Amino acid sequence: MLCHQCQFDNEVGNAFCQNCGTALVEQDKTITHTNSPSPTLKRPFRYRVMEIMNGSPNQPLSRYAEWLISLVVVINCAAVILDSVPEVHADYKDFFHELEFWSVIFFTSEYLLRVWSFSERYLESAWRGRKEYVFSIFGLVDFFATVPFYLHYFIPGLDLRILRVLRLLRILKLSKYNSALQDLYKAVYSERRAFGSAAFLLMIAAIVSASMMHFAEGHAQPNYFGTIPHSIYWSIVTITSGWGNVEPATKMGEVIALFTGFLGVCMVAIMTGIVASAFANQAARKKAAYELQMREILKDGVVTEKEGEVLQRLQEKFRLSDAEVETMMKQAQSKARS
Amino acid sequence: MTMPYPVASVSFYRRLKRRIFTILEGDVTDPSSRFCEIFIAILVVLNVLAIILESVPEIHDQAGDYFADFDVFSVIIFSIEYVLRIWSYSERYPEADASAWKGRKEYVLSFFGIVDFLSTVPFYLQLLIPGADLRVLRMFRLLRIFKLSRYNSAMEDMFEAIKAEKDSFSSAIFLLFISCLLFSSLIYIIEGTSQPEVFPSIPAAMHWFILTIISGWGNVDPVSFPGVILVVITQFLAIALAAMFTALVSTSYRAQVSRRELLYEMEMRDVLADGIVTEEESIRLKKMQAKFGMSDEQVEAIAAQVRAENKLPG
Repeated sequence: MLCHQCQFDNEVGNAFCQNCGTALVEQDKTITHTNSPSPTLKRPFRYRVMEIMNGSPNQPLSRYAEWLISLVVVINCAAVILDSVPEVHADYKDFFHELEFWSVIFFTSEYLLRVWSFSERYLESAWRGRKEYVFSIFGLVDFFATVPFYLHYFIPGLDLRILRVLRLLRILKLSKYNSALQDLYKAVYSERRAFGSAAFLLMIAAIVSASMMHFAEGHAQPNYFGTIPHSIYWSIVTITSGWGNVEPATKMGEVIALFTGFLGVCMVAIMTGIVASAFANQAARKKAAYELQMREILKDGVVTEKEGEVLQRLQEKFRLSDAEVETMMKQAQSKARS
Repeated sequence: MTMPYPVASVSFYRRLKRRIFTILEGDVTDPSSRFCEIFIAILVVLNVLAIILESVPEIHDQAGDYFADFDVFSVIIFSIEYVLRIWSYSERYPEADASAWKGRKEYVLSFFGIVDFLSTVPFYLQLLIPGADLRVLRMFRLLRIFKLSRYNSAMEDMFEAIKAEKDSFSSAIFLLFISCLLFSSLIYIIEGTSQPEVFPSIPAAMHWFILTIISGWGNVDPVSFPGVILVVITQFLAIALAAMFTALVSTSYRAQVSRRELLYEMEMRDVLADGIVTEEESIRLKKMQAKFGMSDEQVEAIAAQVRAENKLPG
């Protein structure tokens, strides 16, 4: 059954996608078009290219593609950094130029391959998958890390510094292969409302403390607290570092300054707490998903080779340690026995 | 809200009051309520911006009249809002035996009722007593920013989470208080004689202590060896207290999230018990998801789990 999230073709009976870990919900639409053109056998070449580019576990080649792209990106970033040292630049100028030329060709072909093959993502329309890729964060990064180089040929007088900054964007391509980063992003995204209210609190704290400081110290230190915008700068410094750039001159100001600094400590605690709880929740969700799959497999009492592989892949995807898996296995077995 | 009596028997006055109550109380599905919310929120943001900009002398000289006009306009709107709220909040308890003043009293004495009052009414004092201190009035105007928090449900969640763990929080604050007393008295005894200009009294030493706790550095170099030890211990204490507060927030937040997931799971199990999900039930689940601010992924994971449990025999 096709995962509606990443279109990965899962074994029948899996509760979770083996590729991205999303729960497999039986959606009528997905099922009908999976069954019609016999699923795994007659996949066109383009589909295989998409799987390779997308890092699907079905294609052994995808791992090499990942490594190759990562290697080129790392070499590129090292070159950008080294190129900024005048002595190195003088000695290896031509080499760097050559490297840049070939890298751009490499990245351009990668970009084109992606755009071309991502039409296979959705069966109903070829352009939906392409559009999704081009406008995704990674699509935009791929574009801006590559294409400006060509501008350089058309407009010779272009500011080279901008081009260099855009070249450094290539390092973001690596984040595609870093699933932990994506986990972090997902965890934060699931708690986005909490983050929003923390930011709101921060804003209120900054504005209120700045205005109070303006009223308390505006006459004593008009240079620093003469206007509220000036005091806002002070209160942000105080909230972030605990101690502002200006010593308060009045007793009232001192109390407000201490209070603002204490608010800063609370803000850090709130932000850290939200991240920690988001992360813990996500880990718990993953564990639950893995356990569910495991229970499903253990139901008949035997773990076939194929089922073992499924579990192995899921464990890798969720980055669970062997110890964790073992504990869960024991728990599931003891539950099955009772 | 359910209607406790048939609509036809209700007078126009009563119906109008009920409608205004729904609009002001906030109902996600009601477009005019949404509009009202957004309008007031924008007005509050503009007010806060005006207060900030007004404090810059150049801007104040050029556009002072506009700011004054805008303030009059906002006060009129906020006064209307306040009066309407008081008037319509009698509908909060629509039972026949409840007094109309129960809901009103509750609103006026609630946090938002007080904020609404203090951020609006002092303006009229200025008209009655022309010599009032303008700076105090401006402080009250700044309170309008708290009107915004009415529309931020996530903030309420945060306070709720903290309230659920209020015992741990109060013990942390108690610890802070005790160590403040202890350490500032100690530093006053140890360093007070050698540095009388920084530690002339225990309250001054307390200032040093709180500064150390919040920024890690209290701006004072100790001169004696016991003083150095005490300063270093205070700095470590600062880190430990920060870690404790962080862990507390984290735990309480996490407890709240899992409480909600549990509630949602129970609801889901209830819905899936008969094997069919009616439209009404799916709307109920959607509303619950929106209220708890759960992501689709979370919901799907819960759904999968419940489904799997249903499939298992027994």
